[in-house]
This record gives sequence, C-alpha cells and structure tokens, in this order.
Amino acid sequence: MIFVPMWDGSMGCASFLLGDEASGQGMVVDPLENLGADSYILSAAELGLEITAIVETHVHADHHSAARELAEKTGLMVSLSHLAPVSYAFNPLTQGDILDLGHVSATIWETPGHTPDSISLVITDSTRSDEPWLVLSGDSLFVGDVGRPDLVDPTPDMVKAAALDQFHSIHEKILTLPDTTELYPAHYGASACGGLFLSPKPVSTIGFERRWNRFVQITDPDQFVDQVLMLLKPPPEGAADIRAANLGVPTPA
Amino acid sequence: MESMTTQDFMDQVQQGTAILLDVNPPHTYSKAHPAGSYNFPFHRRQWGHDVKRALQGQNPPIGIFAENTVVADAAKNSLLEAGLSVPFVFDQGVKGWEEAGLPVARVHDLTVDELAQNLENYIVVDVREPYELRSGIIPGAISIPMGQLQQRIAELDKSRAHAIVCASGSRSASVAAWLSQQGFNVANVVGGMSLWMGARHPVQRA
Repeated sequence: MIFVPMWDGSMGCASFLLGDEASGQGMVVDPLENLGADSYILSAAELGLEITAIVETHVHADHHSAARELAEKTGLMVSLSHLAPVSYAFNPLTQGDILDLGHVSATIWETPGHTPDSISLVITDSTRSDEPWLVLSGDSLFVGDVGRPDLVDPTPDMVKAAALDQFHSIHEKILTLPDTTELYPAHYGASACGGLFLSPKPVSTIGFERRWNRFVQITDPDQFVDQVLMLLKPPPEGAADIRAANLGVPTPA
Repeated sequence: MESMTTQDFMDQVQQGTAILLDVNPPHTYSKAHPAGSYNFPFHRRQWGHDVKRALQGQNPPIGIFAENTVVADAAKNSLLEAGLSVPFVFDQGVKGWEEAGLPVARVHDLTVDELAQNLENYIVVDVREPYELRSGIIPGAISIPMGQLQQRIAELDKSRAHAIVCASGSRSASVAAWLSQQGFNVANVVGGMSLWMGARHPVQRA
C-alpha cells in the first residue's frame, strides 16, 4: 500500500493520498484548499498513482475543501455520504460500500455525530492481510478526543442528539476494529473541530485510544454527552460561511 | 495551449524527427498510451533535466501527453527550464486521444494468480538485473535485463504469448509497451515478483 498523509499544521487538518502500488490506482481523502488541488495531482503522479476516487469524510465547517477543484481537474466526481446536503452532483456512499483500488480497498462506515453525513474509511491491503490495517476516522474518534457535535445545528437538542450519535458511532462501529488498527483522524492539534483534549499527535491506534482516550472510557451515553458539551471550545471562526462554501451554496449574508 | 496540430506533430513522430513523451505513471501508460509514445513519468525533482540527459545531446521537438492540465503544464515548464523545445502538448488523456481518432496502444495486465494458473501458455521474461535474481525467478522464466532487450530481441517468439515481469511491475510495464509496439504478443505481470512471492507461488533459485 502507498499511504501518504498530507498535513496542514496551521489548521490541524489531515488529508490522505493512498493507493495500490501494483495496480497504480489511488484515492484522495479530504483534500485541503490550503495545500492546493494541484499538490495532490502532482504527488499522485510522482507516487505512480492515477487518482480514481476523491472522498470527503463529511462536509467540513472549519476549512475550505479542495475536493471539487480536484474533481474538475481530474475529471472525477467527489464521493460523499448519501446524507451530504451538498448542492453539487456527487457519488453517494452508504454503509458497507467498497472503493476498490486493486489490492487496497476502502470500506465505508457511516459514523454520524460530528455531522449526520460523517463517514469513516476502513482500509485493507489484501497482500498483507484481510484484517483492516488502518481507519480514516474523519471527525468521529480523534487522538485523545472526539469530534464536536455542534457545528451543523447549534440548538441544544440537536447538539445533544448529535453527541449521542457520536457515542454510538464510536462504540458500535470504530471500536469494533482490532487494537492493531492504526487511527488517522481528519484533525489534530490546533483544529477547532475537537475539544480540549485533542492531541497534537496526528496518529494513534485503536488499542491505544481504547485504553487511554477519556471519552472512550465513558460507557454511559448521557455522561458522554455531558462531558462532550462541557469541554467544547469556541466554534471555528466563520464556520457557517466555510460550511456554506463547501456545500456549494452562496455565502449567507 | 497547442502551438502545433496533433496530426502535424504525429507526422514528425512517425518520421522520427520528434518525440512524444507520455508523462503518466507507468501503470497508466501500460494500460493505454498513444501509439509511438515513450513513457517518462513526471516528477518535481528536475524532471526536465532527466529528460535532457536521456536525450544524450540530441534536441528534437518534444510533445507532452498527459491526463490533465496540471501535470501537462508542470512537465512543459520543466522541459523549457532545461532548455528543450516543446511545440506540442496534449492534456486530454487517452480518452481525448481516442476521441480525436488517434491510435492507442494497450498492454494486457496479468495478475500473478492468472499467470500461475496458465504458466504453460506464456514465455515468461524476467527483465530485472542479474543481482536481483537471487530471491528466485518464476520457474522456466528467461532472464533478459531491461537494458539488453534490444540486442536480445531475437530470443523472443512472435507466435507466442509473453508475460513480462520485474520486481514491482513498473519496468515490465514499459518493456511490455515497447515490445507491443514491436509487434509482440505481451502481457504485463501486475505487481511483479513482489506479488508473485507474496502470494507464495513457486520460485526457482539458481
């Protein structure tokens, strides 16, 4: 497997370029406007990969996405959760869908919480094992933290419902992965999408987080929701405008 | 961005006075590429100078073939920086090339499992260097290092199917494409010896 994280430390954002060195097929996940669509195209070319899929783990509210520009320049369609409320044509993904790159494949798991359209990508390389090697968890499980539930709809009932969804996504989906699975979330460090305990370290394992992530330790859903809400940071600056731009709708006045 | 029509440029390529470089990754090139093009995958580390070195002092007009404008522009600029002349750029990929009615060459991809099941149907040609063969070769394979192929092409048989293999499937993709242009029936072994041995297919050691 070819696997290259492309990080923007200034915003604490992670994007990924991965693929199968034997088939030459590659995928870009959560491309960042800060890094520029061209950097993904040129990096893929150097790695011997032809980009065949562009995936967003959700509609982002903290940074501008490069997914649509990348799609235009490569003649592809962006893949998003079927629940993504975007205004442009996209390839809808649902639970269990598989994006096949040859020996490397990504299985889509719907992991709502941060947003209703949040997905995680469970990545397998069949030349090594049929067991997942890593998970791109988007804004569900972070290193030391979990994705915040209040950026889509800040009304208290909706935030609580979203936090509860996050609890179930993490316990019933993400944590069913083997301990050896590597965890690559969409954010780390300075990102405003996590809370007070978001680590500056961008990578962990399911096993380490199962043992040491304080939110994972909480087994009572209501207590989880209380803790998440208590530790919220201020929302990212311009979140509504950024989300609108990523949705492809005109910026609200 | 074209300063010359495709037909005019390809006439020069056929006459041997110009060169068309397909700058796509080897796998993309192997699957389909403009007939008569050479593969020189683009990278951002002074690629144009690598091309210049490979030309060994010649300075023919160079055409660029890419799948998108981003790579096409970067490749063109890199050649210009190296002092080469680029009168032709095509950035619409194989799809555009075919839509324009231009000839495309394709190499069949063969998985290691397909090859293992039909080994008797192929002459297996291992194009790795001699020092790479210690890990073993596919039983019955003949060894012709990539650089010796032109001189030893008589060892191949136009009436038989050939499976070209290297370590990872990149070099073999280029070799297979070239042999296909010479009129041989060839397939590229995807993933090369790394996947052949990874799948625990048999190897023969000297």
